[in-house]
Amino acid sequence: MHAAADDGTAAGEAAGTIIRVEALSKRYGRTLALDGVSLAIRPNELFALLGPNGAGKTTLIHILCTILAPDSGTVTLAGFDVVRQPLKARRHLGVVFQEPSVDDRLTVFENLNFHGLVYQVPAALRRKRIDEMLKLVELEDWRHALVRSLSSGMKRRVEIARALIHDSAVLILDEPTSGLDAQSRDRIWTYLMRLRRERALTIIVTTHYIEEVEGCDRVCIIDRGHILAIDTPAALKAAHGRELIRVIPDDTATADAIQASYPAAITGGDGTIVIEADGDAFAEAFLKQFGGRVRRLSIDSPSLESVFLSLTGRELRDQPAGKRERTYAFGRRGGEHTK
Amino acid sequence: MGQLGALYAIWLREVKRALRDRGQLVGGLSRPILWVILLGIGLNPYFRGEVYGEARFVVPYTYLQFIFPAVIVLNILYTSVQSAVSVIWDREFGFLREILVSPMPRSLILFGKVLGGATVAMVHGSLVLALARFADVSLAPADVLYGLGLMFLLSFAMTCFGVIIANHIRSFEGFGVFSNAVILPLYFTSSSVFPLDPALTHSQAVVVYPEWLVFLVEINPLTYAVDALRGTFIHFHQFAPERGPIVIASMAVGFFLVALYNFRKS
Repeated sequence: MHAAADDGTAAGEAAGTIIRVEALSKRYGRTLALDGVSLAIRPNELFALLGPNGAGKTTLIHILCTILAPDSGTVTLAGFDVVRQPLKARRHLGVVFQEPSVDDRLTVFENLNFHGLVYQVPAALRRKRIDEMLKLVELEDWRHALVRSLSSGMKRRVEIARALIHDSAVLILDEPTSGLDAQSRDRIWTYLMRLRRERALTIIVTTHYIEEVEGCDRVCIIDRGHILAIDTPAALKAAHGRELIRVIPDDTATADAIQASYPAAITGGDGTIVIEADGDAFAEAFLKQFGGRVRRLSIDSPSLESVFLSLTGRELRDQPAGKRERTYAFGRRGGEHTK
Repeated sequence: MGQLGALYAIWLREVKRALRDRGQLVGGLSRPILWVILLGIGLNPYFRGEVYGEARFVVPYTYLQFIFPAVIVLNILYTSVQSAVSVIWDREFGFLREILVSPMPRSLILFGKVLGGATVAMVHGSLVLALARFADVSLAPADVLYGLGLMFLLSFAMTCFGVIIANHIRSFEGFGVFSNAVILPLYFTSSSVFPLDPALTHSQAVVVYPEWLVFLVEINPLTYAVDALRGTFIHFHQFAPERGPIVIASMAVGFFLVALYNFRKS
C-alpha cells in the first residue's frame, strides 16, 4: 500500500511539482538557519521567497543549488535528489547568485561561451542561445566588452543571460535586484516576465524588496528559518493584510462621534483618524454615517508590506555588513595580479 | 566530447586571464632578465674563484650557465603560484560558485584549472630560453623538447602545490606574502644560486657549508627539479640523473591528489 502510494507521488511529481522540499533543516553552530521547511513548487511558476536578511533564504537557495548539504530533510529538483544526484540536478538548474560571479577579465561573450561549454551545450545551440539571451537582456552591443567595464546592473543581466544558456528548467535568482538602482531593477523584472512567456521555466527569486513580489504567482514569506505563509500575493493580502481608512473630520463634534462609534480608532496629532477597516461593507457603512461630515478620506489598501508586518511583527531588516568586506576592498583597489 | 569541451573551457579561461594580466607578463619577462643578465653576469667572475690557490669547486660551467636552468624554475614557480592564487579570488569573488553549480565533477574542474595554470607557467618558463645565447647555453632541439616536457610536469606540480596553499588560506592579503614566504625560500634552498659540489661527499659538503643548509637543500624537492633541468640544458648533474624526473613526476601526482582532496572538501 505504502509502496503504491510512493509510485503515485513519483508520477504525480513530474506533472505537478518541479521542486519538492521536505522537512529541511540546517544549523550553523547555534543558529538554526532552516527549521523543518517544506514546500512544493509547480512547473512554470514564478515563486518568490520573501524575508529579511538572515531569514534563511540564501541557505535554502544554496541547498537547492546543491552547494550546501542540509542537516536533515530532502530536496528533489526535476526529479533528482540534490544531495545524492547533484550533477544530474545541476543540468536543469540555472543560478544567479547574490554576489556577482561573472569573470571580470573575460568578455561578455566569453563568459557566456564558457558557461555553454561547461554545461556541454552543443556548438550550434550554444551560439543560438548566446544570441537570444544577449538580445533578451539588451546587451548585444556589449558582446565583446570586458565584463569589468560593465556597470553592476549590466553584470547582473549578463548573469541572467548566462544562467539560461543551457536547458535550465529552473532559474534561481538570489536577490537579483539588491544593490541596483530602480531602473535596473525594473529591467530585470521585465526580463523575467518576458522569459516566462517565451520559455517553459520555473523561476524562484528571493528578495527583500517587498514591492517586487506583487507580480509573482506565489510568495513564500520566511523568517528565522520558518515558513510563515505561502500563497498568491492577493490571497496573502486578503488573509493577513489590513485595510485602513484615514479621515479628517470637519469638526470636533464629528471627531467625537466617530471615536464613539469606533472605539478602536486612533486619532493622530493632526486630527487624522485611522480606523482599521474590516471587510468591504465597512467603508460603505462608514460613509453612510459620516460621509457628509469629513473633509478628507483615504483608504490604504492592504500591501505585502502590511502582510509582512503582521506576520513577522517587524519591518524588513537592513543588510548587515559583509565579513569579506576587507578582501573585496582589496580587490577593488586593483589587488595584485588578481582580477 | 562534452567533458573535454568543459575541460577546454576551464583551461582556456586560465590562459586568457593570464594573457590579459599585464603585471604577470611583465614579471615573467623581467625576472629572467634580472636574474640571468644582471645577477648572472655580475657574479660570473666570482663563480669558480680559487680560494687560497686551491680550486674548491669543480663545476665545469660559468655562473651564467649554472644559473640559467634555475631561473627557468624560478619563473615557473612564480607563475604557477600566481595562477593558484586565482583560486582564492575565484572563491572570494564568486566565480567558483558558477563552476561549482555546473554539472562538472570537481576533479575535472581542478584538473582543467591546473592544466591552464601549468600551461601558462610552462610558457613563462620557456621565456627564459630566449636568453640562452646570452648565457652561452646551446639548445639542441631534442634537449629543448625533453626540457619542455619536464617544465610542464614541474609547472603542473607547482600549480597543484599553489592550490593546496590557496585552499588553506582564509584571509588573503596579497601575493607578496606568497612570494616572500613560499617562493623565494624554496628557490634559494634548491641549489639554484650556489652549487653543492658534486665531487664532495655528504660529509665533505657539511664541512664546506653549514649542516642545516645542506640539509635544507637536500630535502627540498625543487633541488632535484633544478638538477633535472640543469642536466637537460647544460648536461651537468649534482645528483643522480634519474632522480630529478622521478621527483618531478611524483610531485605532480602527489600534489594533485592532495589538492583534489582539499578541493573536494572545501
